[in-house]
Amino acid sequence: MDAILSILIFFPALAGFLGFIVDKNSAKVYGIAVATIELLLALWLWAKFDTTNGGMQFTEKVSLISDFGISYNVGVDGISLFIVIMAALITLLGIILLRPDTKNMKNMIVSLLFLEMTMVGVFLTLDAIVFYLFWELSLVPMLYIIGAWGGPTRVYAAVKFFLYTFVGSLIMLVGLLSMAYLYHDANGVWTFSLLDWYTLPLTETQQFWLFLAFFAGFAIKVPMFPFHTWLPHAHGQAPTIGSVILAAVLLKMGTYGFVRFSLPILPDASVTFTPFIMVLSLIMVIYTAMIAFAQKDMKQVIAYSSVSHMGVIMLGVFAMNAEGLGGSVFLMLSHGIVSGALFMLVGVIYERTGTKIMDEFGGLAAVMPIYATVFGIMLMASVGLPLTIGFVGEFLVLLGFYQVSPIGTILAATTIIIGSVYMLALFKKSFFGPVRHEKNLGLKDLDKRELSALIPLVLITIWLGVYPNPVLGPIDNSAQKILVDMENRAISPATKEAIILSKKEAN
Amino acid sequence: MLEIGVNHYLILSGLLFSIGFMGVLRRKNLLMLFFATEVMLNAVNIAFAAIGNYYGDLSGQMFAFFVIAVAASEVAVGLGLLILLYKKYGSLDLDVISSMKG
Amino acid sequence: MDMNMESLVYIALFAPFVGSMFAGLLFGNAPRTHLTGIVASILIFVAFLASATLAYHVATVGPVHVKMMDWITIGDLSIPFGFLVDQISVTMMVVVTLVSTIVHIYATGYMDHDKSYNRFFSYLSAFVFAMMILVMSDNFAGLFIGWEGVGVCSWLLVGFWYHKKDRPFEENPSISPSWAANEAFIMNRVADLGMLVGIFLIYWNIGSLQYDVVFEAMPNLADGILVSIAIALFIGAMGKSAQFPLHTWLTDAMEGPTPVSALIHAATMVTAGVFLVIRSNPLYSLDAVSGVSMFIAILGTFVAFYAASMALIARDIKRIVALSTLSQLGYMFAAAGLGAYWIALFHLAAHAFFKALLFLGAGNVMHAMDDELDIFKMGGLKTAMKASYWYMGIASFALAGLPFMAGFYSKDAIIETAFNEGTFIIWGMLVITAGMTAFYSFRQVFFSFHGEKRYEPLGFHPHDMYKYVLIAMAPLAILAVSFGWLMGYYKEFIYGLNESVQYEMSDHTHHLAIYLAALVVVIAIGAIFLAWKKYGGEGDKAWKRDEAFEQSFIYKLLENQYYVPKFYDEFIVKPYTITSAKFWEIDKAMVDGSVDKIGRACLKIGDTTRGMQNGNLSSYLNWMGLGALILVLVAAFSTITTESIVECLRAVAGKGE
Repeated sequence: MDAILSILIFFPALAGFLGFIVDKNSAKVYGIAVATIELLLALWLWAKFDTTNGGMQFTEKVSLISDFGISYNVGVDGISLFIVIMAALITLLGIILLRPDTKNMKNMIVSLLFLEMTMVGVFLTLDAIVFYLFWELSLVPMLYIIGAWGGPTRVYAAVKFFLYTFVGSLIMLVGLLSMAYLYHDANGVWTFSLLDWYTLPLTETQQFWLFLAFFAGFAIKVPMFPFHTWLPHAHGQAPTIGSVILAAVLLKMGTYGFVRFSLPILPDASVTFTPFIMVLSLIMVIYTAMIAFAQKDMKQVIAYSSVSHMGVIMLGVFAMNAEGLGGSVFLMLSHGIVSGALFMLVGVIYERTGTKIMDEFGGLAAVMPIYATVFGIMLMASVGLPLTIGFVGEFLVLLGFYQVSPIGTILAATTIIIGSVYMLALFKKSFFGPVRHEKNLGLKDLDKRELSALIPLVLITIWLGVYPNPVLGPIDNSAQKILVDMENRAISPATKEAIILSKKEAN
Repeated sequence: MLEIGVNHYLILSGLLFSIGFMGVLRRKNLLMLFFATEVMLNAVNIAFAAIGNYYGDLSGQMFAFFVIAVAASEVAVGLGLLILLYKKYGSLDLDVISSMKG
Repeated sequence: MDMNMESLVYIALFAPFVGSMFAGLLFGNAPRTHLTGIVASILIFVAFLASATLAYHVATVGPVHVKMMDWITIGDLSIPFGFLVDQISVTMMVVVTLVSTIVHIYATGYMDHDKSYNRFFSYLSAFVFAMMILVMSDNFAGLFIGWEGVGVCSWLLVGFWYHKKDRPFEENPSISPSWAANEAFIMNRVADLGMLVGIFLIYWNIGSLQYDVVFEAMPNLADGILVSIAIALFIGAMGKSAQFPLHTWLTDAMEGPTPVSALIHAATMVTAGVFLVIRSNPLYSLDAVSGVSMFIAILGTFVAFYAASMALIARDIKRIVALSTLSQLGYMFAAAGLGAYWIALFHLAAHAFFKALLFLGAGNVMHAMDDELDIFKMGGLKTAMKASYWYMGIASFALAGLPFMAGFYSKDAIIETAFNEGTFIIWGMLVITAGMTAFYSFRQVFFSFHGEKRYEPLGFHPHDMYKYVLIAMAPLAILAVSFGWLMGYYKEFIYGLNESVQYEMSDHTHHLAIYLAALVVVIAIGAIFLAWKKYGGEGDKAWKRDEAFEQSFIYKLLENQYYVPKFYDEFIVKPYTITSAKFWEIDKAMVDGSVDKIGRACLKIGDTTRGMQNGNLSSYLNWMGLGALILVLVAAFSTITTESIVECLRAVAGKGE
């Protein structure tokens, strides 16, 4: 299994093609089977993964356009490993959660499998052009999912989602191309390999402009304030499965981009831009959390809370120490699990009542106790309760960022207050108090299908909250490697000073 | 006495081209437009020939011949089309034959 | 350390967890069964036995320190699940498990008819588990786990009767159980922010979160950092222990079932803040942070007085007890701030016993009165509820600090400390508050158990609790009477910990001690007598409602809790809600609006320039000409540099040059 990464990337797509000839009625079973195999492959990768090595493993390289140094080049490290596993897991659980009576089930399954290919591809690729291909390709299935299975204004939302992110990624493409051009200028060879780019010294001006170009692509995807407004529309209109994957995996592509591209390629610019990122992230954290509080629609609360949490992740990425960077990667995972579960939970109640407006509910805890319990656990993970997955990442990010800016950290840490404000308000409105509508008294609690999608997430939430080390270890190694690389490449002394290397490493 | 140099030919070519260009822009009759394009083509021909001569390279003049040939065939096809158009619309005024309005 | 002690540590810690999971996972959705209550109670009792054995071990052999496993390891950070059983934590463990055992048994009776009986025990045992983590952890992150854990359990338990609907503030100051639960959680989170900052400061300055490492390194830190850490940690303590201005949640938390109030909001969770300060005694006893310590003492004294003043006129039986809890927490902080950590801890334990007893007694009254809380509707209950009357009486005597009761020793020691430190204002305030405490405690006792049977016309038929529940409360009553007698032993026990926890009165104070104590006792007895005169009479002497007084400014001020909740509502909750809504508007109209504007601008440009495509060949040609011209100009200007001009000229002017 030397080509495990290629199998991971292309197996879902191949299976997706085959999906066209599968019988309509067995499409869902087929989807579950494929996604399960994919997840098992990802877990197998983890089992074979050398957890003491922070660098790239399982690398494969096939030259595609040798004149321009474009090659199919994949590899996995501690950072991408777990995001890929999470993407596979969320896809599987999302497919399990699909209602059997979903219209055009076959198309849905095929789109999801293609989407899975693009997601896994983005996280495993080490070549900028192929990365860009997967990055843009991921828009297509999502566009289709929102546009075909969405709510009433789905076309507006889908087009907005597509165009907005597309504009950003075009600017990013310019950045990628000029990076290759600069490399060619310096070394006389064309290459789009990230590992090569990591060795290219750049002046601070070059880094400055490249950072901005990358920023345009990544920041819109994250989405960072003020480029976040496509997200509430997309979530508002997307079907449950779309929201789950969008929040859990697609947003992580943005933050992953910062970790994989901006930090190691542009160490000085990353440090220069830290205050700028900090201000935007703090606005994200506080401002969108307040907007979340003002929402009436349960799904919008979760959508805005996603933006708010992504702000915390961004802070961690730019903390320039292993605690913060590793914490933010862990927070990407935990946010994927938690927001994925929350969107699933919103979908559950939407299927039953046909509404997402919180004032329409009330007293659900009495009617649907298991549902309320699962929601409660995920809510507590979302507000960062210790011993749930949400705490570890948030704590580490804030701890790490404290070293950059105490004031910024205190402001960011208000997320533990305002986060609980909107989440508890949501819970109180929907689950507590008297049941508002007579018809809600007859709501059914979670059934087997929903439980089998949600229980794994609950278990992971608690497992990684109590014992995060199996995941934190490899993340830590790779995060420290990135920091060491940055330190080595930094040209300005201020950058070297800003990057805090682990004392363990230094000795 | 001023010697006629390449610059003079180029200036002539430029003037002719401008005249043709103005014709293309201002004229409304299709036939007139054809004449104007012919003028432009010939302006280019002069320039080709002049520069070819100046560099002592025959390809400029060869190019001019090609252009003349292409222009002739173009006129042949174009005039045919004009006749058909005239039969259809009863006019060659550009303002009348505007069916491609976007 | 032998294996035995290590397993005892785990038994003490995990027995409550097992109980919680048993009730929650196995019976969470099952119809109520006494099995859950019994199993949970037994497991808590097991934890108590383990804790007591550990206490003996600590006293005779020494502290036990175990490391279970690593929790978070990244960068230079390494946080284990480690547990430290020393003099301080074992005191808390014994107190927590003892009170919990009794409250669990009590709750099997009290929650008898509640259909969510199983759920209740699941939460209650989970709380004990979280509290045990809090007190046993050997590092600040572990403490934070327990800290947040008890917060969640408190949220679950305060909001236990979540189905009740919101009522306006004027009708019910705590609005509804779910509202009070959220308030408690959020307000605690405000304080937790401070705590987190304290943890960050400790980590970046010391590089570890382990108590032993941290406290050893602290004397070497700069003063400014020490002060920041002390302030940050104390902010955390203020939230959990409901110190002003983060105190409003505690009285509202009385919406929870009474056993919860007894366990969480009197005996254990609210004392976590005091525990934190005592735990960090090596920090707070440093000279560099003496200012912070003094502030803690002053704030504690202020809260003691402030809460007692509100209790003077409160009508809600549980609120009275809650306010007295608040006031006693103030005493504990006063002692801890003045450096008498062990006295604070001793008062914490004594208070846990008699306050739990008081709450459970109040629970009996509520149970008898069909959940009626208004003491104005009670009176003369002593005939119907003899045992509860005695318990409440004993607990109130202990709280008032009458001689030879638990409160007499512990509270008196705090007042003496204030005198000893020469902080006479604090001392004076505490003495006055002691008088107020005696007054409001007995006001409540006389209101409910003496005087006219005001409940009769209202149609209540009070009856006392189940016998086994009353028997189960006996240990608390015994401790409320006798715990103070152990003070000498306890002092010896805790002095084994370290030097900074030790505190001795000066000789001068020692000589005066008897007079000081006598003064406090005289004031307390006077206050009790006053309460008796006012509220205890029957017939002609019976209490009559003083409408005029109830209209007075001072009454209104106290009744509205000094308008602090109103202030929060007007100046925090409402502005926050309005700003949030405004932000949403801005987000839609401006942030998203500008994106849409760009989109619309593109459309508009397309729509306008569509006019070019008019089908007229002549205008096409014009546009084409214009375009060509622009392209030529662009091409020209983009290449025009001095060199290119020179080159161009050369080319044109001929090579004859």
